[in-house]
Amino acid sequence: MTTITLQDNILSKDEIRKKTAKPLLWIGIVSIVMFFGGWTSAVIVSKGASSNWLNINLPISFTISTIIIILSSLSFHYGLIAIKNNKTSQLKWSVIITLLLGLGFVLSQYLGWKELYQNGVFATGSKSTSASSFIYLITVFHVLHLLAGIISLIIVGSKSFLEKYSSQNTLGVELSVIYWHFLGGLWIYLFLFLKYIA
Amino acid sequence: MMMVILVGVTVLLIAISVAQILKIAELNAISKGSNVYEISDKENKLQGTLMMVFLLFYFGFFAWQYYKWGDLMLPVSASEHGVGIDKLMNITWLLIIPVFIITHILLFWFAYKYAYKKNNKAEYFSHSNKLELIWTLVPSLALTVLILYGLNNWNKIMTPVNPEEEHVLLEVVGQQFSWGARYAGKDGKLGRAHVNYIEGTNFMGIDASDKNADDDVVVKGEFHIPVNVPVQFVFRSNDIIHSAYMPHFRAQMNCVPGMKTQFNFVPTITTKEMKKITNNENFEYILLCNKICGAAHYNMQMNIVVESKEDYEKWLASQKTFKENI
Amino acid sequence: MSTHHHHDQDFLFKYVFSTDHKMISKQFLITGFIMGFIGMIMSTLFRLQLGWPGESFWIIDKLLGSWAENGVMAPDKYLALVTMHGTIMVFFLLTAGLSGTFSNLLIPLQIGARDMASGFLNMLSYWFFFLSSVIMLISLGVEGGAASAGWTIYPPLSALPQAIPGSGLGMTLWLISMAIFIVSSLLGSLNYIVTILNLRTKGMSMTRMPLTIWAFFLTAIIGVVSFPVLLSAALLLIFDRSFGTSFYLSDIYIGGQVLEHTGGSPILFEHLFWFLGHPEVYIVLLPALGITSEIISTMSRKPIFGYRAMIGSMLAIAFLSTIVWGHHMFVTGMNPFLGAVFTFTTLLIAIPSAVKVFNYLTTLWKGNIKFSPATLFSIGLVSTFISGGLTGLILGDSALDINVHDTYFVVGHFHIVMGLSAIFGMFAGVYHWFPKLFGRMMNNRLGSIHFWVTIVCAYGVFFPMHFLGLAGVPRRYYTNSEFPLFDNLMDINVLISMFAIAIAFGQLLFLYNFVYSALRGPKAPQNPWESNSLEWTTPVEHIHGNWYGDIPEVHRWPYDYSKVDKNGEYIGGKDFIPQTTPLFENETEEAH
Repeated sequence: MTTITLQDNILSKDEIRKKTAKPLLWIGIVSIVMFFGGWTSAVIVSKGASSNWLNINLPISFTISTIIIILSSLSFHYGLIAIKNNKTSQLKWSVIITLLLGLGFVLSQYLGWKELYQNGVFATGSKSTSASSFIYLITVFHVLHLLAGIISLIIVGSKSFLEKYSSQNTLGVELSVIYWHFLGGLWIYLFLFLKYIA
Repeated sequence: MMMVILVGVTVLLIAISVAQILKIAELNAISKGSNVYEISDKENKLQGTLMMVFLLFYFGFFAWQYYKWGDLMLPVSASEHGVGIDKLMNITWLLIIPVFIITHILLFWFAYKYAYKKNNKAEYFSHSNKLELIWTLVPSLALTVLILYGLNNWNKIMTPVNPEEEHVLLEVVGQQFSWGARYAGKDGKLGRAHVNYIEGTNFMGIDASDKNADDDVVVKGEFHIPVNVPVQFVFRSNDIIHSAYMPHFRAQMNCVPGMKTQFNFVPTITTKEMKKITNNENFEYILLCNKICGAAHYNMQMNIVVESKEDYEKWLASQKTFKENI
Repeated sequence: MSTHHHHDQDFLFKYVFSTDHKMISKQFLITGFIMGFIGMIMSTLFRLQLGWPGESFWIIDKLLGSWAENGVMAPDKYLALVTMHGTIMVFFLLTAGLSGTFSNLLIPLQIGARDMASGFLNMLSYWFFFLSSVIMLISLGVEGGAASAGWTIYPPLSALPQAIPGSGLGMTLWLISMAIFIVSSLLGSLNYIVTILNLRTKGMSMTRMPLTIWAFFLTAIIGVVSFPVLLSAALLLIFDRSFGTSFYLSDIYIGGQVLEHTGGSPILFEHLFWFLGHPEVYIVLLPALGITSEIISTMSRKPIFGYRAMIGSMLAIAFLSTIVWGHHMFVTGMNPFLGAVFTFTTLLIAIPSAVKVFNYLTTLWKGNIKFSPATLFSIGLVSTFISGGLTGLILGDSALDINVHDTYFVVGHFHIVMGLSAIFGMFAGVYHWFPKLFGRMMNNRLGSIHFWVTIVCAYGVFFPMHFLGLAGVPRRYYTNSEFPLFDNLMDINVLISMFAIAIAFGQLLFLYNFVYSALRGPKAPQNPWESNSLEWTTPVEHIHGNWYGDIPEVHRWPYDYSKVDKNGEYIGGKDFIPQTTPLFENETEEAH
């Protein structure tokens, strides 16, 4: 590994931010992966220990959510490419569409929980089992992480309307895009896990 | 107990006065123009010598403890597999103690021998592949032996009793804060049990509608096992995690609510014989709880009596079966 | 010259909401020590009960109040004290206190950075830690008492207030406090990793970094990987306790009724907990080993022996630490094959540990050792690391573990190898870098008395515990007096308790030395220990940005002590060559 030095050897907060913001985010993502990794391994251990593990059919809404979140990732990535070519208005549109798709994902997840509940799959109480509780827990905490993504979208959105970004200054958008892609990837993993393994 | 407080206060006062004296010495040194942070040759020599003194103290303390308390350790293993464990333990000690002694001698002796002297030069010696290879390989070899021998023992211990073989099937149930034991009875089968059936004296939650439960024998306070016959234990818990620990048999297994665990051993020494071995008329084998389980965790015990097969059968016949009890 | 101006900050931002890594380091140190002293007092109190069970003590009466009627602590409150002692010592003193202090102080200073990657996250990390400390202390005062299920908080005991009063509000606060603590620890770790990877000064390649930095780096990585799993375990426990789920609970009859929970498994919690819990041992230990490596080399005026092997062994330890957790669960009824696998991985850790020990010994060999208090504690650490590590070979062996699992043997083992080693490393670090922290010197003589009192008493406390364990005494017993079997072991307990009281008083020497020196100690010179690493090139007084002018460039590794030329003369004329000194003519960089 080569040594990276500060261009400005005195003290430049911007310089430090540019160098460290992405690695900070990536390592933060590692810890989120471990957090969900803990739960998905917990599902496997519980399933192994349980004699009557409940196999739950995932609601169709979760499949729709998956499509929505893939679309949102594509649209946000389009915005990133746009801003790198200095096309600020395309970034604005991309953020708005991504935001709507993100909210659509939350709505679709909500419909999914409703369907689960109507099918007699309960999160808590005497009728719940670990299997049913885990489904709610994992999906709800994914949405909680997604809310952080939505907040970052709102920030990126407002900054783009204030014309703060240009092809020279894309760091904020890049960070938001990385996190958003991560949420999409995480959901796909969780979805496949819940569908085929749990 | 006033004693302890008095001692404490004295130590405190001594500490304060030492601190004050040192402070004066420090101020004195500063006023004379010497650097307080510099460690004098005298100081280095003193600390080096103290290193050797400590080494002697440490080994002396170790030897003293062994001499004084060596006899208070658990007596010879009263189970078949326990003899294997003890042997493995002794082999491990034979490996550990010399390493402990040699490394400590080197550590403190180097500290003593190479204490700072103004005209000495430290040797610039930053690496040696040969040496590093040696102390990677030697521990690896020693560990291989330990691992192989240990796992051999472990697999033997963990293999359940062959159901065809003559054995005693015994269920032990833990609850806050007592133990209960249940024998499978003549049919050799334990009746179904679940916490839902717990009621009144049926603290083990035995299902009375299960025919297998009729001849089960439930005991509290103490249980008996025959010498030289394998005992297959099944453990359960009614409330929280307990751990059934029978130190004299080198046996331990957690009791986990919602789950059955098992362990088996062959007792080899009767209670009577053990009384002679330990030279203690009041000796009893004991089952105690070894997993934190609540306020009275420290007092959750059950006696174990190991006796000849005839005595055991006589005792078991004198106990009421589950059906007779209800 | 510098274009950076040192501007005045008002009190609030200088001392309280500081984003400067040096101030945050001091905040971690002082908070950690306060927690540590509280944890130590708790242990002294329960040692009184264990040494003289059932006797009334004035001090217990005064300090514990309603927890101890007539000066005798209640059995469940004994467990509360044990639990809080463990939690505070492991997490608050030895994780946050040790790592937080020295990672924050040394990472920017030793790699040549102006500050951490994100000063703001760093400040947040401290304040989350502070908040979690406060909540943990508040939990001591709530109805039912503090958490009492052991620091490992195994459910169902920790999940059910019916099982023990401490599992009520006390446990809730414990979980909240730990969740905040985990966030604090993660924020800290993020910063440490990124700073080390991205903000090294010119010439500071990874293989020119001091071993302290390597240790903090790997510690932070282990933290990022394992702490989130503890958080996910704690969340499941919170849900079981408060929202009626059954992740850990099944088939429980308690307080005269059957609970609704079915289908869960307490073993699941143990897996998740120890997936953090074992790496946690190395989160505590690695920084101490890093500090020791640096101090032993500096003070024996010799390069650390086997620099690359030291890094390699730390990497191996860090990796192995995440695949050995099962050795805490040999007697939970786990699949015997799994038990065998975990025995194998566990005993493997002995190899890198042995390499480290032999490398320390070789570093001391033919050295020219200056005995500062830091040197003494570092040598003490090597001793405790050996003494405690060797008994790990017994506990890690599944067959042997059966009979010593959860006995005092375990208590003796981990207090020596993890507790003493880590605290010795921390003391060594404080004595060594005190001039950097406070710009003043500590009193060496007092420091060495502190060391000798501490090591003698510490072995006096923990060594006899092995004998108790081999006699079959279980840990976490309120008293051993209920078993005739243990009657003749009473002497051992009395001896241990006396040493425990003595060691507690011994720490007053440190407290006095620390406070007095911080306020009134003699002013520190630039480089009191004649050390090579970069932190001693910064001005003694703390400035924002660490260096006036440019950050120095690095030309060599930090362990060029007593390097001589062909004629046997010191290169550069002194027995040390700072990292900032370019290679001399005819000098080659050591291929360490």
